[in-house]
Amino acid sequence: MTLRIDGLSRRYGALAALEEVSLEVRAGEIVGLLGPNGAGKSTLLRTAAGLQPPDAGAVLVDGVDLWREPVAAKLGLGYAPEEPSFYEELSAEEYLAFLAAVRGLDPAAAAARTRELSSRLGLADRSDEPVRGYSHGMRKKLSFLAAVLHRPRVLLLDEALEGFDAPAALYARETLRAQAAEGAAVLFSSHVTEAIERLCDRVIVLDRGRVVRTLARAEWGGAAPGLSTLERAFLALIGSPGAEVPA
Amino acid sequence: MPAPRPDFAAAFAPLERRLLRRRLAAIEPRLRLEIVALGVLAMGYLFWQTRLALASLAFPNRPWAAAAGCAAGLAACALAGAALAGTRHAERLANGFPAPPWLALPVPAGRIHRHLAQDSCAVSRFALLPGLAVLAAGARIVPAGALAALAAGFVVVLDLAGRLGCAIAFGLALLRAPAHPGADPATRVLAVAARPARARRFAPPRWRAERPLAAFLRKDLLLARRPGPARLRLLAPLALGLLWLLPSVVPILPEVALALTYALTLVAAAGMAGWIVALVSADPFPVLRGLPVGVLVVWGARVLWAALGAVALGAGQALAGALAGGRAPHAYFSWTALVSLGIGVLGANYAVTLYPRAQHARRMLGLTLGMATGASLMIPFLGWSLLLAALLHSARRLPRWAWQEPS
Repeated sequence: MTLRIDGLSRRYGALAALEEVSLEVRAGEIVGLLGPNGAGKSTLLRTAAGLQPPDAGAVLVDGVDLWREPVAAKLGLGYAPEEPSFYEELSAEEYLAFLAAVRGLDPAAAAARTRELSSRLGLADRSDEPVRGYSHGMRKKLSFLAAVLHRPRVLLLDEALEGFDAPAALYARETLRAQAAEGAAVLFSSHVTEAIERLCDRVIVLDRGRVVRTLARAEWGGAAPGLSTLERAFLALIGSPGAEVPA
Repeated sequence: MPAPRPDFAAAFAPLERRLLRRRLAAIEPRLRLEIVALGVLAMGYLFWQTRLALASLAFPNRPWAAAAGCAAGLAACALAGAALAGTRHAERLANGFPAPPWLALPVPAGRIHRHLAQDSCAVSRFALLPGLAVLAAGARIVPAGALAALAAGFVVVLDLAGRLGCAIAFGLALLRAPAHPGADPATRVLAVAARPARARRFAPPRWRAERPLAAFLRKDLLLARRPGPARLRLLAPLALGLLWLLPSVVPILPEVALALTYALTLVAAAGMAGWIVALVSADPFPVLRGLPVGVLVVWGARVLWAALGAVALGAGQALAGALAGGRAPHAYFSWTALVSLGIGVLGANYAVTLYPRAQHARRMLGLTLGMATGASLMIPFLGWSLLLAALLHSARRLPRWAWQEPS
């Protein structure tokens, strides 16, 4: 397994946001995190990404304890927060070049991957402009790009595809599947059930800070991974290469 | 049924009043006190200088010459008011107003522009303060009747000057606005202001393999060059850096020149510490926390900046010492560099240990430096002991960096 969360608890004053949450995301798996507003999804992802310490419990990334050896654990971690924030004065390219250097990536490979990802996500035309001028969708795309740039072993995505246009959403889903096929563990939180249906192999339902149930794809019998009829028609109309992707 | 005729004046008047009230309320009480204190200081200085000038004009028996001098001073203030309002209006017409999409409202564009110009004109009222100082300086020098007439005239002229500044800004904006058949001038200008500003494009970055510390230094340097809080905070230490040689080249006693240079250097070091706080607070919390870096990288990069600044300030003090005829430039260098390094590292310590609460870090830094200065003035070297204690105390909290939370 690649991501393991053991008995994670977190309180905000009197409010128990997470109560002894335990879950596993195995290598090659895309697991959805579903729950009503205030269920604790973002708190779980923030704690698992190392943004806030837990009151109890542990987060293990490839067996490395995130809160005991944060630097080693974060080398293999990618996180896209629900509300992305950036160095507003830098361009997207400058920001990503900084992240690549801090993560010790090969400069040429990182630059090439950035070019490919930003072009497919529709960011390439404005990747040399300061992030300050980006729209909501562009900021979400940049946050996603920053999370997957280093091909992390564990990906934590909090409403990551929200605000994406159809071709970018399609490409992002393809990218996530490819990452999973390479052995990454993906924990994908969303309030849009359709996004989870089309992407995830398994769903963990969270309510009031507790894991209520885990559902396998066979149990919910939802839409198959791939394109919906409307997506297919739309992509064909705009001539996007995604239209050829099999349903 | 006849179409309703909205009363725009009744709609805009309460909006303008509320905006003014909210903006004043948004200024922190401490900042209000600071603004008042600075205003009083500046007005006092202007009063003193103007009074000397008016007194010499009036001597031996020419009060009307003093009245003319007073009028010239007030005219300069009105001109400054016009420049303030005009510049602000021009900038907002070029880059847009932080406001609703005006042109989507069923309000004539001319009325909207009048409201926006009135809002821009508000800054011209800052010129009332120097005007008051000039008028006060004329008391008992300029004949009372003339002074009263000048005061009344100044209020009217200042209002007109603000409007004139905005009108000039509008005229210039109109020259740049593309022509649209059927669109009135105000619509053309507001359409340009509502358009999102075209972003500046940057040269592609050089992708390099480097240590995280070097990546942080490079990123900090980029932020310091781009418009934003980091660059803004760098301006004060740089400006003081340019000023520090001034006392050494003007004809004053060498001891006084050295003391002044030393004081300026310490203020520059405090400004540098404030800049370091701005650099640390520029790190977005979710980005920084997701990166495989420890406190050593985040803190070390900023301490390196402090060391660089300390060397520059020490070198400046050594040069000033040499110009003032001092005999031991290396002593000037060592002491100033050491003290500046201490202040810079204190800034880095507070910024990192209180991250991401930049405001708290700034307050702690200001409080510590203020107390150290006060202590030094009372008992020599007590301030340095206080600074050292603060350095050690804040450094002890560095290992807790990874456990800090945004709120």
